[in-house]
Amino acid sequence: MALRGDWVYENNGGTCVAIAGSDYCVVAADTRLSVGYSIYTRDYSKICKLADKCVLASSGFQGDMKALQKNLAAKHLIYQHQHNKQMSCPAMARLLSNTLYYKRFFPYYTFNILGGLDNEGKGCVYSYDAVGSYERTGYSCQGTGGNLITPVLDNQLKSPSPLLLPSRDAVTPLSESEAVDLVKDVFASATERDIYTGDKLEIIIVNATGIRQEFLDLRKD
Amino acid sequence: MAPPLAQWSNPLAMDSDLNDPHSMGTTIIGVTYEGGVVLGADSRTSTGMYVANRASDKITQLTDNVYVCRSGSAADSQIVSDYVRYFLHQHTIQLGQPATVKVAANLLRLFSYQNKNMLQTGLIVGGWDKYEGGQIYSIPLGGTILRQPFTIGGSGSSYLYGFFDQEWKEGMSKDEAEKLVVKAVSLAIARDGASGGVVRTVIINGDGVRRNFYSGDSLPLWHEELEPRNSLLDILSAGPANTPEPMSI
Amino acid sequence: MAKALADVPPKGGFSFDLCRRNDMLVKKGIQLPGFRKTGTTIVGLIFEDGVILGADTRATEGPIVADKNCEKIHYMAPNIYCCGAGTAADTEAVTDMVSSQLQLHRYATGRESRVVTTLTLLKSHLFSYQGYVSAALVLGGVDVTGPHLHTVYPHGSTDTLPFATMGSGSLAAMAVFESKYKEGLSREEGIQLVSEAICSGIFNDLGSGSNVDVCVITKGKTDYLRNHQLPNPRTYVSSRGYSFAKGHTEVLSTKIIPLKAKPEVAVVDAMEE
Repeated sequence: MALRGDWVYENNGGTCVAIAGSDYCVVAADTRLSVGYSIYTRDYSKICKLADKCVLASSGFQGDMKALQKNLAAKHLIYQHQHNKQMSCPAMARLLSNTLYYKRFFPYYTFNILGGLDNEGKGCVYSYDAVGSYERTGYSCQGTGGNLITPVLDNQLKSPSPLLLPSRDAVTPLSESEAVDLVKDVFASATERDIYTGDKLEIIIVNATGIRQEFLDLRKD
Repeated sequence: MAPPLAQWSNPLAMDSDLNDPHSMGTTIIGVTYEGGVVLGADSRTSTGMYVANRASDKITQLTDNVYVCRSGSAADSQIVSDYVRYFLHQHTIQLGQPATVKVAANLLRLFSYQNKNMLQTGLIVGGWDKYEGGQIYSIPLGGTILRQPFTIGGSGSSYLYGFFDQEWKEGMSKDEAEKLVVKAVSLAIARDGASGGVVRTVIINGDGVRRNFYSGDSLPLWHEELEPRNSLLDILSAGPANTPEPMSI
Repeated sequence: MAKALADVPPKGGFSFDLCRRNDMLVKKGIQLPGFRKTGTTIVGLIFEDGVILGADTRATEGPIVADKNCEKIHYMAPNIYCCGAGTAADTEAVTDMVSSQLQLHRYATGRESRVVTTLTLLKSHLFSYQGYVSAALVLGGVDVTGPHLHTVYPHGSTDTLPFATMGSGSLAAMAVFESKYKEGLSREEGIQLVSEAICSGIFNDLGSGSNVDVCVITKGKTDYLRNHQLPNPRTYVSSRGYSFAKGHTEVLSTKIIPLKAKPEVAVVDAMEE
């Protein structure tokens, strides 16, 4: 069976959300890893800390997620040796884009959201497609529950059009605790309707004081 | 044949294996002896790789004195034998005496032959009547009919041709014949993945019918077969002393 | 050999030309409308004085949960119920059709319906559609000849078993039955085991979820325990609540047309004699 040459990818499901505020960034993902109608594990973290103020949440094919994280970690290590500092979030965003596009014709089957604080300490969220097209936004949502969550975030957090002049802040008006509350609620809702989202929610909050982690139980069916 | 791996990435196609038509990868046997017949079968019904029924009865009654062993598509063989049973009952009433084995076999043949483009089933009919005594008829796929002193069928039969060529003798006793059938089915179960479970036999002769059941753990162990072991559940419920260490990563 | 058989023209019976046409259209890349295929766990077992059926309550459309609390245990007769898995429309239609035939049969005979009658009606319908009506059923009931439990597959084959499971969660549920089922369970033990098997499907099979429905059929009495267990409550509700601000769609222009009452005089002809 495994000899079939055309079998390369698998979708292991899962949902990622990130919300940027004026002085914080919330990145969250569920911890279910599954394929077809089966659950591989109920406790797989899809979020990876890449630098002091920069975390990556991915869904898609776990094999590619792991390979991508390892690749970025290696490049970040070299960066630290060469520059004697942590990479900034905007720099990591560009690096991730280049890393994805490098495999344009044999892509990493991953859907990524990069969240953290930019050089001014403002929350930032970058969202990607599988081959490296990216954009800085105020919030983003990807993965199997993306279609369910996105319109809710659009309604609650609608950020100004990037085409408006003069340009306006892309960050959301919510406070940190309000944003965490919203993230918990949209995940609880997505779990009700998306079979690939569930088990547990991992929330990472990045702010001036550092990185904090929270968990919330989700439905396990 | 195994499904291609790519299918598993599609959630709807994933359980296609379970949705396959039910088929009885089977071992079925019919043997005549001095005075009657012995029919034998395993008890496994599978859909692809899943055993849907591990204790099925593939030896179906048609009349008081005629039974049929079914193989191939479960749906097809059930429908055919249901129809034939119905017609034989009607025939018995109209005739005022039991239907002969020949009539039963010919009815099955008629259905198999006339609907050969729809059906996927091989049958072995066995029975006893006062005119010709014990008889075995084999009705393979296209609707052929063959009267034989003994016959084997189903996926497990390919392991048994040589065995029967050597072991079957003219004029065996009832016990010899049944022993042969049980041994043959157990041999096929040991080698054929699509056969398994228990062995069921039906003995039909002038005195009537007798059904026998041989459970899986009463069958002989053949080459390289393992002794039955306690399941993990037994070990766990035996108490903390016997509890194995949990696996550490 | 198989090819030669296929060339023989069919004699009467159903025509499956449209099925062949649909296969051809799919191969040419035409998208057929999808239908609600319920990934499901349904089970049944025979206990000391009757039959217990169980089902989960999730209906899915691809990866989306279409109904969080649907009913999968269908009524066939007062003493016979049937769990359905497969295409929701097919299980619903086939059980409704057969249950109406059974009702008419009861009017005609004045006797309680039998489980084998139900089984035969179901299997002959499914067989004549050659598996295209995709209903996988667990049929259970108690009649004058005692308790009975059967499984029916979409192609029309049937099995008679002391315990049975069906649907995408059937393996998870069967694992529970194979390790814990024994003969002569009491009513409470039976309900407990059925619930445990369904929960195994709910938690380990993504196609199954939400609540546990149970139906206990004994001689002369049927208890339909709808939502017997609710093992999946919502885990978080926002304390904030939501407000949906007006103005998310920009108003370009406004024109108000007032509605005026228009007096209408009814002209009625004088009554004539």
